[in-house]
Amino acid sequence: MSFIEFILGVAALVSGIAVISFRNPLYSAFALVANLLTIAGLYALLNAHFLAVTQVVVYAGAIMVLVLFVLMLLNLKTEQGKQPGLAQLATAVVGGIVLIVTALPPVLSRFQGLSSHQLADNVRASEGTVQAIGQELYSHYTVQFELSSLVLLIGIVGAVMLAKRKQPQLGPRQGGLLKGE
Amino acid sequence: MSSMMTYLALSMVLFIIGALGVCLRRNAIVLFMCVEMMLNAVNLAFVAFSKLHGNLDGQIAVFFVMVIAAAESAIGLAIILSVFRSVASVETTDAAELKW
Repeated sequence: MSFIEFILGVAALVSGIAVISFRNPLYSAFALVANLLTIAGLYALLNAHFLAVTQVVVYAGAIMVLVLFVLMLLNLKTEQGKQPGLAQLATAVVGGIVLIVTALPPVLSRFQGLSSHQLADNVRASEGTVQAIGQELYSHYTVQFELSSLVLLIGIVGAVMLAKRKQPQLGPRQGGLLKGE
Repeated sequence: MSSMMTYLALSMVLFIIGALGVCLRRNAIVLFMCVEMMLNAVNLAFVAFSKLHGNLDGQIAVFFVMVIAAAESAIGLAIILSVFRSVASVETTDAAELKW
């Protein structure tokens, strides 16, 4: 395990914990951007160059910009009301620990001593360059690739339909806020 | 400690942090971000296995997950917007009209 891997892994954990612990959703969003960028760095270390770039452009770029736009459009304040109760917190933490304790040892024992860096023969074959990914995508996954474009089209149309739908006005707050979009 | 183990452990812990976030937070947009984080944790495991096995199938799977996540984020945020229009809040506890 290299030094850079260690730094990126720790950064991913810290920013992941930051996402769920900030009270202000805007800070959570920025912590998530940091988390996605560290994961992009890990992709690059795993020879997945195309995915690293896609992660930065699509996830940290497009999707997070969409989230930030919605956050700023809604102009949310910091989460009001009571904190999650002690019982809820304890249940969640105990549940998480139980999940780790039960799931981690089998996984770890299965891959004990199996280092991805030792498989030198395979390294060339799994180099995720744009060319390699493109060739694989268009020779073995053509149908799925075309279907995914259909999914994106349906996503666009559905988002526009949902966002444009006229709703009866209920509260005083949303009248001027969302009319102009 | 081998590299593969590190990546799998990191992926699992990130997934569990995301799951904890879904359990603990009430803001729908934060829930959405936690789901994105869980998707990314799984993607990391996919890429690590892709390198371990020396083929690109895992990376192709990650590519499709990213496509679906992009569509999902557009739809999900539109749904959150329309919930906000009808209940003037994105807290999950406020959208409780069907709760008995």
